[in-house]
Amino acid sequence: MDPSEVEFLAEKEHVTIVPNFSQDMIYLISGDVGPFTAGLPVSVPLWLAVNLKQRQKCRVFPPDWMTIETLQEKKQAEMDSRFFTEMPSPFYIEITQLLLQCATDDIPRADEIRTLIKDIWDLRIAKLRSSIDVFIKSEESHAKLNFLTLMEINTVREFLTKGLDHMHQLKSNLTGGGMANSSQFL
Amino acid sequence: MLVKDFKKDFYDTLQRQRVLVLVAFDVDALCACKILQYLFHCDQVVYTVVPVDGLQSLEQAYLENAEGIRQVVLINCGATVDIVDLLQPEEHVRFYICDSHRPVDIHNFYNAVQVKLLMREDELSTIPSYDEVFRDDEEDSDQSDEENDDPESGYKKKRFDDESILRRQERRQWNEERVRILFDYTKFTSYGTSVAMVMFESAWKLSKDTNNLLWLAIVGVTDQYVHFKTPRDKYMEDVIALQSHVSRHNQRGSDGESLLSVNCLRISFEEELHLNLYRHWTLFDSICHSMPIACKLRLWTLKGQKRLHEFLAEMGLPIAQCKQQFSAMDITLRSEVKARMQEYMNKYGLENQDIVLPSFSMQFGYKNLLCATDYVLACAASLESLDSSKLQTDNFLLASDILQRSSPEKTDAALEGARAQLRSLVSQVQSSLDMHQIISAGPFLYVFVQEGTADSRFFSQPMSLIRLARFTLQAHCSVTRNKRAQSLPLVLGAPLSLEEGTCLIIGIPPLDTDDERKNFFGKAFEQAAQSTNMTVKCNGFDTFIIEMRIEDRSKFFDALISILQ
Repeated sequence: MDPSEVEFLAEKEHVTIVPNFSQDMIYLISGDVGPFTAGLPVSVPLWLAVNLKQRQKCRVFPPDWMTIETLQEKKQAEMDSRFFTEMPSPFYIEITQLLLQCATDDIPRADEIRTLIKDIWDLRIAKLRSSIDVFIKSEESHAKLNFLTLMEINTVREFLTKGLDHMHQLKSNLTGGGMANSSQFL
Repeated sequence: MLVKDFKKDFYDTLQRQRVLVLVAFDVDALCACKILQYLFHCDQVVYTVVPVDGLQSLEQAYLENAEGIRQVVLINCGATVDIVDLLQPEEHVRFYICDSHRPVDIHNFYNAVQVKLLMREDELSTIPSYDEVFRDDEEDSDQSDEENDDPESGYKKKRFDDESILRRQERRQWNEERVRILFDYTKFTSYGTSVAMVMFESAWKLSKDTNNLLWLAIVGVTDQYVHFKTPRDKYMEDVIALQSHVSRHNQRGSDGESLLSVNCLRISFEEELHLNLYRHWTLFDSICHSMPIACKLRLWTLKGQKRLHEFLAEMGLPIAQCKQQFSAMDITLRSEVKARMQEYMNKYGLENQDIVLPSFSMQFGYKNLLCATDYVLACAASLESLDSSKLQTDNFLLASDILQRSSPEKTDAALEGARAQLRSLVSQVQSSLDMHQIISAGPFLYVFVQEGTADSRFFSQPMSLIRLARFTLQAHCSVTRNKRAQSLPLVLGAPLSLEEGTCLIIGIPPLDTDDERKNFFGKAFEQAAQSTNMTVKCNGFDTFIIEMRIEDRSKFFDALISILQ
């Protein structure tokens, strides 16, 4: 999967906005949105929030978990635990990226939030890599990881699957005897 | 016809239509264009932007682009000419003119159907009333009576009864009165509120104003002041109005620190040092190239330089540091420059008005801090860049990028261009004064820029020409012993194109009418040209800058002298 596809899936998440216009409900295939009343908060999908913000038609509220204190606790929990902890949202990195890009002025202390999210991301990716390392070395056949998000899985997906395939080929050549077709190698 | 309600009369009619935007070639117009473009992006209006630098290119741009377009917006161009007459549009085309040039042509004002003006109502109060300049013709009935009178005799026989004599007399009187009123109305050209400011206020009424748009409005207003189009009082009024917007958008958080990310644009109001480009240059050079101080201290002379050294020494700023890049000076010195200058300025004959200008500065990111006047100079330098390989539209797009703040390299290159322009400006003034080229011709002073000098190519563009003329006049008034110099206007000629043998002539009003900045040279040039039957081209939108052949110069000047006396 392409990272942009993952972002596309993340845009379905809902965020709260305060529009400055009024409109009736909009009936879309993926669900109903609205009705919009100027000054009253309403929950809309992220893609609509970003579009409205770019057209200066709304103000975006950051999600509840996007505060300095919550994120600092999360980061601490992530550092303390050996395994992956649960993330506030399965799409935390995409949501943060999109909101900080287009609605920087609506989110207080945006720079610190960006740093904290990046720290959390780095911690989790480091844990993922070391656990893959352990997995390969111990030659297990399957592993179970809890609380990984789609974007993190996506970073390793292609390489890991191809690498495991390759190793399987090599192993089966060793054990399967000399009649294996060596042209299977790529 | 004046637009009363921006949203209903102008903005809503542009929704879901294709719009043609014709933009004049100066920084103010460019800022207004960018504000309008942003509003169009928000509401997904399809538009075409064409930069035009004069009436001819306006006509040409209209002809090329007017297929199927019903709405045309003109920014900073077209108010002073009868636009319907000039462009001969079709019936359904609507023009929206947002222009700071005054006086507005009466046909534009009274055309209720095709022309709409986006200006402040109080600035149009001097326009003559409808009855004084237009008259529904009763004359037709008069003429047809005369025709029918003597069909047998075959020639028109004038009726000599009292009624028609009185009518004819009244009509003649009305015509003379009309000519006089129109002459008074169009005698002086001046500038109204900056178009960027008008656009910003309209965006504010639509609740679509942002910090970026506010910065563009600030740059537009400062551009008017830097190019001497508006008096200081008007500038102060506009600054005060803008300040309320600035504090609304750029509030400080409760703990004194801003809560915004560093990458957001932050604007602050301050009393800026009126030294051009001092943050991007050395302090010494910046003082030498800033008009008010340079003229008061006469910094192009040797004596003036010595006084400057004295001034700097008294302020406690070491010369070695002053001749370094400003950013390389000691931090303590940098922060105290303004305070020290204000302390010692009176001894050297400077006033607060020369040193300090209330203005705005903006910051985004960690590195980029720019004040409004520097920004204007950089944009003007890139609009008028001398690279002959680039088209004018390229320059326009480059200046547009700089306003967008998309790339710091382009801004730096533009600042370099501004520095080069300032240097050539000062050296030109210096040579004019040293060689006593400023001659008094009775009702005005005149000076010519010599053809073929290295700097003369900088002055073939209107904006640098305005600045050069003003600097020359102010410098001359500070050195001359002639008491009358303050009340004499200046006419300056600069070579435009050596192959064609043309030159640009500009006339600026005298220094003591600084409170009003009204320019009468447009009309004077026109009359001089008429009386000598010469072909002069007035290509730009400012009527006080004209183009003519070098050979015709002396004849023209004689005519001008006789008119102005």
